[in-house]
Amino acid sequence: MSRIPALLVTHADLGAALLRAAEQIYGPVSDVEVLSNLDLSRADLERAIDERVARWPGGGLVLTDFPGGSCQQCGLLAARAHAAVVVVTGINLPGLLDYLHNRDQYGAEELAERLRRKAQDSVRVQRSQPA
Amino acid sequence: MTWRNQRIDDRLIHGQVVVAWGAALRLNRLLVVDDAAAASAWERDLLVSSAPGIAVSVVPVGEGPAAWEAGRAAAGCGMLVVRDLRTARRLVEAGAQVPAFTVGGLHYAPGKTKLNDYVYLDDADREDARALLRLGVALEVQDVPASRALPLVQLDPALPS
Repeated sequence: MSRIPALLVTHADLGAALLRAAEQIYGPVSDVEVLSNLDLSRADLERAIDERVARWPGGGLVLTDFPGGSCQQCGLLAARAHAAVVVVTGINLPGLLDYLHNRDQYGAEELAERLRRKAQDSVRVQRSQPA
Repeated sequence: MTWRNQRIDDRLIHGQVVVAWGAALRLNRLLVVDDAAAASAWERDLLVSSAPGIAVSVVPVGEGPAAWEAGRAAAGCGMLVVRDLRTARRLVEAGAQVPAFTVGGLHYAPGKTKLNDYVYLDDADREDARALLRLGVALEVQDVPASRALPLVQLDPALPS
């Protein structure tokens, strides 16, 4: 199984910050690119994503921050021309770490479903007991 | 329905529109007037899915005036969104009685000059802005509800004051 690359597309510098946080836990990361939507129109953001995913002959994952945002929409628009590119929206640190740990073991579709579950399962409401 | 805002934004429906303006104006309807988006069923569906809980319509400019009028007769609060000043001008010239537009995002492209962090204009944009002003349409600049709205002419000395 070849490695599935990823592109983090987010608002502001969230993607870069997520990757820095992941590197603190996982170690140095390669094959993950970061793209901010800052200052980009819808057309330019779609083009910037398309340019990057076009370098993935075996497909990959576009990881975006929240549903309905320009990052998700432009990811989906760009992915239309690349059959093996999957968009995952709502990425968080547990999801990104799960991707890093498993990107050499799964194909893009399986990996996307896996990190979706991981990201969703990581959001928890907890109350601690009184001391 | 009350049209609460008419926005010019090259991202069309996105986070600022749905999360910030949607909550501030209690929007229950979005009307996107855009020839390219309206021509693609896939893009229409994408825009509709981007605003959960808000009814989204996507129509070409030719159908814009009728959609605008129909919206005035409906219940609730709505926002009109167009991609650029040219579309806003075409919509008004086609007969839509839109009193004002808020420029919420016209991002950098080659040949455009910066007015602020989210508004860049070129000569063609300015000509469209002047045409809208001549038609009596007010033009303001404001990205999110928490920021202060400013007249476009105040930011751009190349426009008539």
